[in-house]
Amino acid sequence: MTESRLHAMPRLIGWRVLKMALMVLAIVVVNFLLIHAAPGDPASAIAGQSGQADAEFMRQLREQFGLDKPLPVQLWIYIERVLTFDLGVSHRLQRPVLTVILERLPATLLLTGSAFLIALSSGIALGVRAARKPGGIADTVIMGVSLFFYATPLFLVGIVLVLVFGVWLNWLPTFGMETVDVPLHGLARVLDVAWHAVLPVVTLAVFYSAVYVRLTRASMLEVSSYPFVKTARAKGATEHRVTWVHVLRNALLPVITLAGIQAGHLIGGSVLVETVFAWPGIGSLAFEALIARDYDLLLGIFLCTSVVVLVFNLLTDLLYLVFDPRVQAL
Amino acid sequence: MSDFTSWWSEETGAQELNGDIRSPASGPSRRALLKAGVAAAAVAPFLMRVDDAIAQGITPKRGGTLTSLLTPEPPVLMIGVNAQGPTLTVVSKIFQPLFTYSPTLDFVPVLAKSWTISDDKKVYTFRLQENVKFHDGQPMTADDVIFSAMKFWMTLSLRARIVFARIEKAEATDPYTVVITLKESYAPFMYGFGGTGFTIVPKHLYDVADLRNNPNNAKPVGTGPFKLVEWQRGSFIRLRRNEDYWKPNQPYLDEIVYRIVPDSQSRAVALQSGQVQLAGGNDIEPFDLPRFQAQSNLSVTLKGWEYYGPLAWIDINKRVKPLDDVRVRRAMSMALDRNFILQKLWFNSGKVATGPMCETTKFYDATVKLPPFDIAAANKLLDEAGHKADGSGIRFTIRHMPLPYGEVWTRLSEYFRASMQKIGINVTMDTTDAGGHTARMAKWDYETSINYIYQVGDANIGLEQYFTSENIRNVAFNNVGGYSNPRVDELLAKSRYATDPAERQKLLSEFQRIAVDDMPYLFLIQMSFPTYTTKRLNNVITTAMGISGDFDDVFLA
Amino acid sequence: MKSFVRRFPRMAIGSAIILAVIAMAATAPIFFPFSPWDMRGSPFEPPGSPDFLLGSDALGRDIAAGIAHGAWVSLMIGGISTMASLGIGVSLGALAGYVGGRVDDAVMRFAEFFQTIPSFLLAILLVAIFRPSIFSIIAAIALVSWPPVARVVRAEFLSLRKREFVQAAEVLGVSHMRVVWQTLLPNALPPVIVLGSLMVANAVLTESALSFLGLGDANWMSWGFLVGSGRSVIRIGWWISVLPGVAIFITVLGLNLLGEGLQTWLNPRLSKRDMP
Repeated sequence: MTESRLHAMPRLIGWRVLKMALMVLAIVVVNFLLIHAAPGDPASAIAGQSGQADAEFMRQLREQFGLDKPLPVQLWIYIERVLTFDLGVSHRLQRPVLTVILERLPATLLLTGSAFLIALSSGIALGVRAARKPGGIADTVIMGVSLFFYATPLFLVGIVLVLVFGVWLNWLPTFGMETVDVPLHGLARVLDVAWHAVLPVVTLAVFYSAVYVRLTRASMLEVSSYPFVKTARAKGATEHRVTWVHVLRNALLPVITLAGIQAGHLIGGSVLVETVFAWPGIGSLAFEALIARDYDLLLGIFLCTSVVVLVFNLLTDLLYLVFDPRVQAL
Repeated sequence: MSDFTSWWSEETGAQELNGDIRSPASGPSRRALLKAGVAAAAVAPFLMRVDDAIAQGITPKRGGTLTSLLTPEPPVLMIGVNAQGPTLTVVSKIFQPLFTYSPTLDFVPVLAKSWTISDDKKVYTFRLQENVKFHDGQPMTADDVIFSAMKFWMTLSLRARIVFARIEKAEATDPYTVVITLKESYAPFMYGFGGTGFTIVPKHLYDVADLRNNPNNAKPVGTGPFKLVEWQRGSFIRLRRNEDYWKPNQPYLDEIVYRIVPDSQSRAVALQSGQVQLAGGNDIEPFDLPRFQAQSNLSVTLKGWEYYGPLAWIDINKRVKPLDDVRVRRAMSMALDRNFILQKLWFNSGKVATGPMCETTKFYDATVKLPPFDIAAANKLLDEAGHKADGSGIRFTIRHMPLPYGEVWTRLSEYFRASMQKIGINVTMDTTDAGGHTARMAKWDYETSINYIYQVGDANIGLEQYFTSENIRNVAFNNVGGYSNPRVDELLAKSRYATDPAERQKLLSEFQRIAVDDMPYLFLIQMSFPTYTTKRLNNVITTAMGISGDFDDVFLA
Repeated sequence: MKSFVRRFPRMAIGSAIILAVIAMAATAPIFFPFSPWDMRGSPFEPPGSPDFLLGSDALGRDIAAGIAHGAWVSLMIGGISTMASLGIGVSLGALAGYVGGRVDDAVMRFAEFFQTIPSFLLAILLVAIFRPSIFSIIAAIALVSWPPVARVVRAEFLSLRKREFVQAAEVLGVSHMRVVWQTLLPNALPPVIVLGSLMVANAVLTESALSFLGLGDANWMSWGFLVGSGRSVIRIGWWISVLPGVAIFITVLGLNLLGEGLQTWLNPRLSKRDMP
């Protein structure tokens, strides 16, 4: 059975990829219509930013951006372009959308990726620890701290961390992704970026860590009460083995499910963190693009983040196969 | 034909010349003054500012990187293509004008050595610097100047188009002489032909059909003291010293790095901790001004906004009842405590408005005054206008669209609402994000909103479009509120062509008085964005362009 | 009562906090019989000054009044948006779980659609499109937060449908509506109630984040507005941001304790072990 499941995987993945493509298309269409429903357009945003406007200029801009055509035609043109992997040109930055996104995406992936890994690993570890003795001191402290970070607005945590570690203690850089006064290369640059990443990553990680701590703990407690755990104990498995192998493996399922769903949340949360820490990622870019009514750029960002989320969901589903108790049972 | 060359320095010229324009009787004779001017200009006019520094005992020092803040990030670093403040701040180091403006709005030569203006104010003859090269090594000549004016700026800039449309012909009589002939005399011409409003671009790179999408926009090539070497979007912009700059031994700085930091508190931290040495424009929220003023290693100045002259006002859609009633608008104006706004919101960075013009704008009339802050009188005026309060003390309700450009503007809208409450006007907030604000103003889809406008030295360039009835149209940054007064139309039209400064003063004084009587806008404050520098940094603000000067004489001591 | 507190301490603390916040919201007009927007004194007065118990903000407005009046607005935003998303989520989830087949597939794709777009980005977009107002904020929060509800309800329905008492009802010819309303929904409700309490908390946080980005409704003083308006002056008056932040914190904490307590209460198998 395990064998056949694994054999079916390529076909399963192929099917999933097709569904993902349809999903992306739906997202493109809906977002396209939403963005065009917003008051203002790129031409008025350009006028607003430069503080001057005349009718002829606005007409020229709208013609240049193709905004003079009927909306369905614009949508059709856009879909045609997307199907050929052409995301268009950002009118504000006057550069290809794909170039702009690929330039900014690594920063966001670095930020959210490390925050996610830290949140997940620390969340699971602390959750397991807390579940070992519910009501104990460790449990109370872990749950208290995680609740504290969960319940405080993300941006407020960021601002307070900046004040404490950046201003009062002056230990850590408070904004940007790297030192630019003196260009660094190689390992020095990697360390420099890591150094700059500490505060934003921690800000984002503590919030999500809190979620995983709580879920892992609850899930551990639930699974511990299942008969097979008792069986394992009866068979003489050490408490350590029971916790880390029998219980955790099963308790991780809901955590993985949530983690998969939360990929999208993480990118959303990065809007705030990137704003507070001047992190040159895609979240702050999205907000700027919205304000400037940079249609193509904003659509491109929605499209790319959706693809990232879908790929991530696919990965978690594959992971699910690995952890699925039914697989283990057979 | 009389010579008319002017420049600016501390001890000569500026003030007298200024007096000359405003009241010809008070200054020294024009001839004597101009003689001094030509002589100095011929020697070394551009060293004046550095000389001042030397006179103060500071010797300019070569070297060092200046790190500055920049907010928000410019979309493109090409002059003309984008006219936002932050764009100008950066590109002004790369592209230079024929001349710029002194803090008293007189003219300081840059790429033009000198110039003459014919008596009928129709022919302007500019003599260019002869040793100027673009960053690609090509020499700058009269052809580049003519191309820049007639093609580049005419195509790209709306403000320039208003001014340059008056040009009948532009000719090069030799490679370093440009003769501009106007169709008719146009008084504010010089205020539209210098500073960041008209800089010289290389014809050999820009003589193409699609200026807006010219590939060279990504690698700007100008004559300025700095070149663009690196731009990591969302992070920083790096400019490096132009080794072949046309002024010997200048600029002094090796590099200027502009850091893009979106959050205002992070920016304040960067300035406080010394990670950046310069902040200006929108970088620092007004709330932080007192804190930085108290910091000993920083100096803070309000100078450098004389040319732009930003004036904040409440924009009123005069088609909406009862806002069409001048008594209602007067009462609203009287209910606003401008000193509170200036002190508590802008922390004294600026001055209260006295009318439609900033003090630094040419032909400002100090005798024009707004009606004083007086809640009781405002209430009385509304009673007289027949707007009685109902049981809960409310006379009528209006909508207000805040300016979505940051916290302080939101606070101003909240102050406006609280003040209107005191005279029985209920204000509901009608928030729109920055992308929608301009569009709604253009569609006249607002009742009251806030705006701040740049006066650019002369009412006929910066203010006219907000007051004349020919500019009532569905285009933002025009007379969208629908103000119409034939006398104002007439005054501004006459002032446009008047050649005699005294005549213009008379016309524009009357305009200012009517603007205050009719109150088409509630004039609030003359803004001035503080510039913060570390004490080591010298010569940052030397002209009316402030941080949008070319920085060729800026140095780190 | 006493035994309830002893048996469900989290829920007791959580409910006490939430009741206190509701009481604060309800009594705001009594203790602060003026608009929280009124400028009542000099700006930036620290907490404990004679005029202002919790200090004043950049315009001299009373932070205490803002927090008290803001409680009402924040709870309302949290409550209504949660109701709305529970409404969407429960009906779609029930439909998917009960009807199954293609309907189930369609509903799940629809939910997936909303979970694929980064929800906060979508909320920002929605609020910007429909102009920032209390309605657009509530609608945006509701629209991005219903999919988990739908998933939970669907899963409950799927497992309940196989149970004997449901099948018995269907065999007896009870109408579909009755089966759903009287048999399935009440049994599927416990996890939804737990989720709901957490969603209120999330909505309060989301509203504050929208306000932080300048997309709040300037006619309603919410906690999010207070935190957002204070962040640029945090160095001059920390209390303007931090105290409303504490209010958000306490409320979210209370809602979480309540949610956890409910979970323990409604899922007795866990209650014995989970009890500290």
